[in-house]
Amino acid sequence: MSNKILLLSSVIFLSSCAGNNISELGDKFLDLINPSDAATELADLGGDATLVATDENGGFSINELEQLSNDELIAIAREKGLEDLIVLDAEGNLQNRDQLINAIVESGDLLDAKSAELESLSDNALIEMAISKGIDFELDEDGNLANRDELIKALMDDAAAMLAIIENFKNSSDSFILYFSYDDTEIDDLSTRSIIEHANFMQDNPSISLRLEGHADERGTREYNLALGENRALSVKEVLSLYNLDDRIIVVSYGEESPILVGSNEMAWEENRRVEFSYY
Amino acid sequence: MKYLKFILLFSLLISFSANALLEVNILKSKEAAFPIVIAPFEVIGDSSGNVDIAKIIRDNLNRSGQFSALSTDALVRNQIDFDFWKEHKKDAVVFGKVEQVSSKVFNIYIYIYDVFSEKSLYQKKITVSNTGFRRMAHFLSDKIHYVLLGQKGSFNTRLSYVTVTDNDNGGRTYRLQISDSDGFNPQTVVRSPNPILSPAWSKDQKKLAYVSFKNNRSEVFVMTPFLKTIPIRLPKFDGIASSPSWHPSGESIALTISKQGNKDIYLYNFKSTNLKRLTKNKSIDTEASFSPDGNSIAFTSNRTGQVQIYIKDLQSGKISRATFEGRYNAKPVFSPDGRDLALIHRVGKDYRVALLDIKSRDLTVMTRNKSDESPYFSPNGGMIIFSTNRDNKGILSIISLHNNQIVELLQKTGEVREPTWSNYSN
Repeated sequence: MSNKILLLSSVIFLSSCAGNNISELGDKFLDLINPSDAATELADLGGDATLVATDENGGFSINELEQLSNDELIAIAREKGLEDLIVLDAEGNLQNRDQLINAIVESGDLLDAKSAELESLSDNALIEMAISKGIDFELDEDGNLANRDELIKALMDDAAAMLAIIENFKNSSDSFILYFSYDDTEIDDLSTRSIIEHANFMQDNPSISLRLEGHADERGTREYNLALGENRALSVKEVLSLYNLDDRIIVVSYGEESPILVGSNEMAWEENRRVEFSYY
Repeated sequence: MKYLKFILLFSLLISFSANALLEVNILKSKEAAFPIVIAPFEVIGDSSGNVDIAKIIRDNLNRSGQFSALSTDALVRNQIDFDFWKEHKKDAVVFGKVEQVSSKVFNIYIYIYDVFSEKSLYQKKITVSNTGFRRMAHFLSDKIHYVLLGQKGSFNTRLSYVTVTDNDNGGRTYRLQISDSDGFNPQTVVRSPNPILSPAWSKDQKKLAYVSFKNNRSEVFVMTPFLKTIPIRLPKFDGIASSPSWHPSGESIALTISKQGNKDIYLYNFKSTNLKRLTKNKSIDTEASFSPDGNSIAFTSNRTGQVQIYIKDLQSGKISRATFEGRYNAKPVFSPDGRDLALIHRVGKDYRVALLDIKSRDLTVMTRNKSDESPYFSPNGGMIIFSTNRDNKGILSIISLHNNQIVELLQKTGEVREPTWSNYSN
């Protein structure tokens, strides 16, 4: 009797394991479908795709790029809209090879994510985005989007251009993270100067929006720190508001939940009391 | 076949107990606890697959700080040598019997004797299935607590807490779990790659509110864990919501909502979907906790420039400051009788659990730790559970208000945080 029960329970146990495996396999299977779709699309583009030697993700891996000559790298950077990042010396030799390789890989990853996001959007959402970006689109007689693929391509080009601008700004301005004192939201002079640089950047690039993410160190209670992190981001926003940028800024707080450095010491705490800037 | 049975049983046991909270540290107090002996239960038939009831009871009673419960080498049956126990300074003797009725059904007998009067204080026979052993041990622990001390125990109840573990993808996995009051038998009710915080149970234990970052910002969700429904996100309220606390009636919930950056406490009514503002102040107001009668809330505010605790009387609308000692007092929670607040108090550079007598304003610091968080009372008010840090790892700690004895519970891998204690189940 008891043997039967044990056997039965083990069958249930095993079959529930099997169920997990199947659903996991299902996910992997779906992952496998998408890249092949991307590959067919690339093939359709024909001649345009010749320069861009892609891996399965449609981007470049670091290994691939490291094998290329400087001239080839420069060509790819130009193709990707990362022209402004190329630093040449007086003889025309590439000065920042490693940085350029990183930027190309990074932009590939970000653009892959962007492309997936755009593909998943409804026609209406795409139209809304096109309007906000000032990009033209066509409607058919029924009022449906007529040139979905073209619009997505235009939005991708726009995203790539923005990425290059942000990438470039990152290299000129070192502080995309501002730090704060314990239980404090005050912004010092140095930080204010840095925020003004960001304000100028946003004014020069009206299509770019900013997400300010406030954080706290682990000391004190979680919910209070969540509020404190938001107040830190808000005090950065307050400075940016002087430049009429309110509508293009969102503020979020992670409180103490997302530390840069894990540890219970002054060094970790200093790193974690911060506001992060991320453009999109 | 016999081998197979053994291996199967073994692996099943492991899979159940792998993530249970482990008792690691008991910091005993010198103050007297009730000396009692709980003998191993006599087994008639085969009960080898079941938990050791006497051991669970002893661990429970010892964890409460109210008892000093020991075992004995000898099986105790109805012939009790009272003189022997008097000599060994034991005030009560507990023993029992597990009798197999069929493969899955057992009778459990328990007897409690007073050593000095040599009289029976309690005896009972209960029939259970093998799956009910652990729960029965908790139920009997409550019985012993009541019979010997005249107060309810808090053993046949549940804990809930958040665990954080590193996952294979270099990220973290957050789990909201419910376990027995001793940390055994854990069940995961919410699992997420994004932070989960501030879990709050409705008084009837049917609903659970919590904050999740799954949409890249803090939002409050409500779910009914035992009905396996999809969590419902509360409406957007035109601001960022956090810090949920149920009204005892279960009809409404207090929330911190940040509107245009101003964080105040609001009361959201589920039926009418009305949102009523409870505090109005430019500073941070958060971490609301309802008094047991639902007539007032305690909350954290930095309205004076310092982080302090305030109490709002919801009938008169009057807000009064509750804490005056120190520069940082936060995360208040009412005791079940409504007389005290447990809170986090800053001492020098350390954050420690403290107990505040609301009327007399007496503040007692309860620990010597560096970073305590999230205190919560046991339903009988006899213990406080909270999270703290040991070797850079979050663990749970239970302190007895009877004699300040501390018991620490940790998870083998990862950390445990934000504990709450369930009410009595009906």
